[in-house]
Amino acid sequence: MTQTEAPIAKLDLEGISVMSVSLWQITWRRLFRRKSALVGMVILGFLIIIALTAQWLAPYDPYTPLIGIEPVTMREAPCIHLLGCPADQAQHLMGIDGNGRDEFSRLLYGARLSLMIGLSTVTFAIAIGTCLGAVAGYVGGWLDNVIMRVMDVLLAFPSLLLAIAIVTMLGPGLINALLAIGIVSIPSYARVVRSSVLTVRETDYVSASKAIGSNTLTILFRHILPNVLTPLIVQGTLGIATAILDAAALSFLGLGAQPPTPEWGSMLGAERNQVFTAPHLVFYPGLAIMLTVLSFNLLGDGLRDALDPRLAHASG
Amino acid sequence: MFTYILRRILSSIPVLIGILFATFALARLLPGDPCRAVLGERATDAICNEFLHRHGLDRPIPVQFTVYVNEIIHGDFGVSFRYSETVGQLLVERLPTTIELTFCALILSIIIGIPLGIISAVRHNSWVDVLTMTWANIGVSMPVFWLGLMLAFVFSILLKGTPLALPPSGRLTAGVLSPTFAQVWGLKVPAHGFLAAAVEFISRLNILNAILTGNWSLLGDALKHLMLPAMALGTIPMALIARMTRSSMLDVLDQDYIRTARAKGLRKTNVVLKHAFRNALLPLATVIGLELGGLLGGAILTETVFNLSGMGRTLYDAITARDYGIVQAFTVVIAIFFVVLNLIVDISYTYLDPRVQLK
Amino acid sequence: MKRSMFLLISLVVVTSMILAACGPAATTVAPATAVPPTKVPPTAVPPTAVPFQPLSLAAPDCSYGGEFSKIEAVDQNTVKFTLCYPDPAFLSKIALASFGIQPAAWLQQTGGGGTGSELLTHPVGTGPYMLAQWQKGQEVDLTAFPDYWGTKALTKTVVFRWSAESAQRLQELQAGTVDAIDNVGPADFATVQADANLALLKREAMNIMYIGLNNTYPPFDKVEVRQAIAMGIDRQRIIDNFYPAGSTVADTFTPCTITNGCVGDKWYDFDPVAAKALLAQAGFPEGFTTEIAYRDVVRGYLPNVANVVQDIQAQLKANLNIDAKIVVMESGAFIDAANKGELKGLHLLGWTADYPDMTNFLDVFFGTGANKSFGNTWPDIIDALKQGAALADPAARAPFYVTANNLIKEHVPAIPVAHGGSAVAYKATVQGANVSALGDEVFAPVQIPGQDTFVWMQNAEPISLYGADESDGESLRPYIQITEGLYGFKTGTTEVIPVLATACTPNTALTEWTCALRQNVKFHDGTIMNANDVVETFIVQWDASNPLHTGNTGEFYYMSTLFAAFLNAP
Repeated sequence: MTQTEAPIAKLDLEGISVMSVSLWQITWRRLFRRKSALVGMVILGFLIIIALTAQWLAPYDPYTPLIGIEPVTMREAPCIHLLGCPADQAQHLMGIDGNGRDEFSRLLYGARLSLMIGLSTVTFAIAIGTCLGAVAGYVGGWLDNVIMRVMDVLLAFPSLLLAIAIVTMLGPGLINALLAIGIVSIPSYARVVRSSVLTVRETDYVSASKAIGSNTLTILFRHILPNVLTPLIVQGTLGIATAILDAAALSFLGLGAQPPTPEWGSMLGAERNQVFTAPHLVFYPGLAIMLTVLSFNLLGDGLRDALDPRLAHASG
Repeated sequence: MFTYILRRILSSIPVLIGILFATFALARLLPGDPCRAVLGERATDAICNEFLHRHGLDRPIPVQFTVYVNEIIHGDFGVSFRYSETVGQLLVERLPTTIELTFCALILSIIIGIPLGIISAVRHNSWVDVLTMTWANIGVSMPVFWLGLMLAFVFSILLKGTPLALPPSGRLTAGVLSPTFAQVWGLKVPAHGFLAAAVEFISRLNILNAILTGNWSLLGDALKHLMLPAMALGTIPMALIARMTRSSMLDVLDQDYIRTARAKGLRKTNVVLKHAFRNALLPLATVIGLELGGLLGGAILTETVFNLSGMGRTLYDAITARDYGIVQAFTVVIAIFFVVLNLIVDISYTYLDPRVQLK
Repeated sequence: MKRSMFLLISLVVVTSMILAACGPAATTVAPATAVPPTKVPPTAVPPTAVPFQPLSLAAPDCSYGGEFSKIEAVDQNTVKFTLCYPDPAFLSKIALASFGIQPAAWLQQTGGGGTGSELLTHPVGTGPYMLAQWQKGQEVDLTAFPDYWGTKALTKTVVFRWSAESAQRLQELQAGTVDAIDNVGPADFATVQADANLALLKREAMNIMYIGLNNTYPPFDKVEVRQAIAMGIDRQRIIDNFYPAGSTVADTFTPCTITNGCVGDKWYDFDPVAAKALLAQAGFPEGFTTEIAYRDVVRGYLPNVANVVQDIQAQLKANLNIDAKIVVMESGAFIDAANKGELKGLHLLGWTADYPDMTNFLDVFFGTGANKSFGNTWPDIIDALKQGAALADPAARAPFYVTANNLIKEHVPAIPVAHGGSAVAYKATVQGANVSALGDEVFAPVQIPGQDTFVWMQNAEPISLYGADESDGESLRPYIQITEGLYGFKTGTTEVIPVLATACTPNTALTEWTCALRQNVKFHDGTIMNANDVVETFIVQWDASNPLHTGNTGEFYYMSTLFAAFLNAP
């Protein structure tokens, strides 16, 4: 063993490029790796395209009855030329609805409505829920108690029931239905935000921030809320799925979208008495709802696994 | 334990008061008055003034609220305007339908969901796993009313005449009667009062009544009619339970002590069921507890699709018809039920996981 | 421990299922012949030899505004009604279901109604059937009355069931679990007719569906606008697509099934070109914006509400460029707003006749007592109707109704659209199947060879079984099997025949009606009917101050509308 060792070569930093990977890129990569999330994104992509290009994709106007324009009978079965329907008969991929309108065109326009419903309710609920949860979590004390008790009371009722009651109070209509669903969704976001706020509140950097004299709002927005973002995104995506289902349920009961709006739930509900004679009018709107909700569920699950490494194992 | 229960009950009291207040406000906030809702086109001002006076609806709101709270505490749920019956009597008539339905749906979802979840977890990433999870994801995304209608179509029209055909509506076939077990056993039951109500309540649970009276054809008929609604209602919880079981099983199966158990030489089924599953039960219990809320909402839709007059549908009709008595009483019952359920779920944690200390 | 619990539960469930599967299957063809426990009504105290004390009630004078002046039991078997004004339709009115006779003792014993009263769940009458039990939410069971005074019922047990969905009703009929269904869905008429095992019986339409316009709100204050809309809607298209077979386009407000109903000029033909021209002439060449309000309630005159309203909206847009926003309202609020004349746009509503007379149609909407749904009333129409109502001879009344119909066409207070037909479907093996335009199907003459139970499925559960305080067909249909009135309708028709009365003879002025009662008619509780039962049945409905004037909601619809007012109303 020699006494002196060769001197360590100085590390030449110039030639090395360090690949810095941001959190978002990690997230994306993880997301893409999960096949189910990929499926969800593809379906969602289709839906968005349909929603944006409905007026060019739809062969007929969703509002105009075809009585007098074409020889149609109400609730006619689908006529698909590829599957053997005679060429002289007009093609209606999903048949005719109870008012003589093309079901397929109405379905395409319905995509627009469903996406709008999901996004608007969740945005509303997140906005209000975040405020309430942040205030409750940060301020604490009796305010926290009051807000959480109110949330508990809201959660004590089954959500659909409460939504029905609120819509009945406000009067049937799509806007009122959205408001009702939004209100009913607030507690879950408030809780999520509050628990995140509680966790973060005690950390060192928040204490440090307080020590240097930042005011409450800065602390809230700069330090605490960014940590809430992750669970909110996950909860929100899954929440869009629930919101679309709830809106469809309300419309099915006649409390949401009103005729002649082509909303999937109300299209289903209008034909529910005819399920035995015209099942296609019940099947297709329901299928559309299911696929939409599925895509958001898959995306939400994927986001949850991608954004929170601790949970990565949990859903394998 | 006892102090914990007591403390929890005490802390739920403000919530319960809030619920009472909320349901009262809810009912009063519904636009229109019950007179016009009940009598419709034929309500004149004279009839309505008399109607409102008879039911004490012309008194000031705080007075009405105190009367309402007082009645609830004494167990008197008030009167339904539409049915001209006490709400208590309506509860006894209609709650059993919903209980039977939700119970069967829950049992179905547990019986099918848990084994599927366990199998998927154990055969992680195999085709069984993929298939189950795909189906579970689809199940969670389905609107319950759509599923109900499609099931009705498949089993009543497509499978008509086959032994698999199932009836799409009602609780029993026309003309099939369900004599109460009290009648069959020859018990003397008073016509009114709590005992009478209890007997009627139990006997309206058709399945239980059939078992108690040994009437097997009635049992078969009741089960046949319950199959489709239970399947429709139970699919979403089934899918959720399957997913939840799978994920918590996976969590647990990865732990060291499982590896130790296997290394010790214990059989795989033993390990899976006795060690792994037991520990996976805790989050599962939470999910099942939470699911009951969704089940009741789904019950409204299922009862509408399958023409069952249970609590969910009655409540929905009552909201539309401004029947304050039913709206208030039923919502309070549901809400109290949930508060109690949460308590039970919390307490069950100690049995499922001795490490959990109830604070 | 968990596992054994789990195993135990699954064992119990599986065992029950196996037992259920192995046990005899519940019959699906003929309903189980389990005899329903017959609840015999408490026997009234047998009348001891107490001399007959006749009941009567008289109004102090006719200023209270009602039709009755005095109702009295002249002797044990004679009842006399004294009216404030002549009423040629009196017999049609008392033949209605609400005036079925119940024992005075039973009315008194049950307090005349009220929450939980047995009167609401257990009517007692003289009819061919008596109530066995009402399993709330499930079914109503009737059993034949062995001591019926007339032709005994042919079927021992009648079961009423219900389902709100026409598809489900048809399902059960096709499956054989029920023997007849009410209100066959419009789309299912063809299915039933094509099925050899079923028979479709159509009901004559005694109703009208109309589009209401309020002439106090612009632009409907201009008669040209109203006429333009009248010409601009293709009503035949609505009937063809959204109404069941047997429905007709309404050429006049009243259907032809009512005497003097469709006299006069027929309604405007569909002429979109002329309509548009007329609209332009009125100052709206580009159309205008308005609303069309409706309630989502199915009625015989409007079985497909949502479809019809959407089609009308589409037609208004296509033919006249009128943008009508669809507004759905809750039923009670809608009726309220319509009656008060608060609906600013168009509204969709209808009317079913209570009894077959012109006064129950045109007078309701265009007569003196009409509400404000069409805005200001038309004095010339009121005049014509008044003259028509004062006479008894249909031929003499005709010219006034010609005038009235022509004036309605000229002024267009509303647009009559359809007379909605409905139908009942029976199993082909049913003998004695009948339908009634009033919904009064009777089951005593009905029989299915080899079956002693007849199952009828209707739209909804009865609200209560005290027919005096109900007006919906679902509650009254069981009631008419159980009770009978002084007069009734010949099965399947609107012709009145004496039932519990052998005859009711009026005086020349048609203000006094003396009814001789049939003798030795037994009630279900064993007592014999006498004049006091008749009088009591009527006065608990007529006198608002009577302690037995309670019922279910206290509305007593038919008494208050057909006989104008309650005595001693608060």
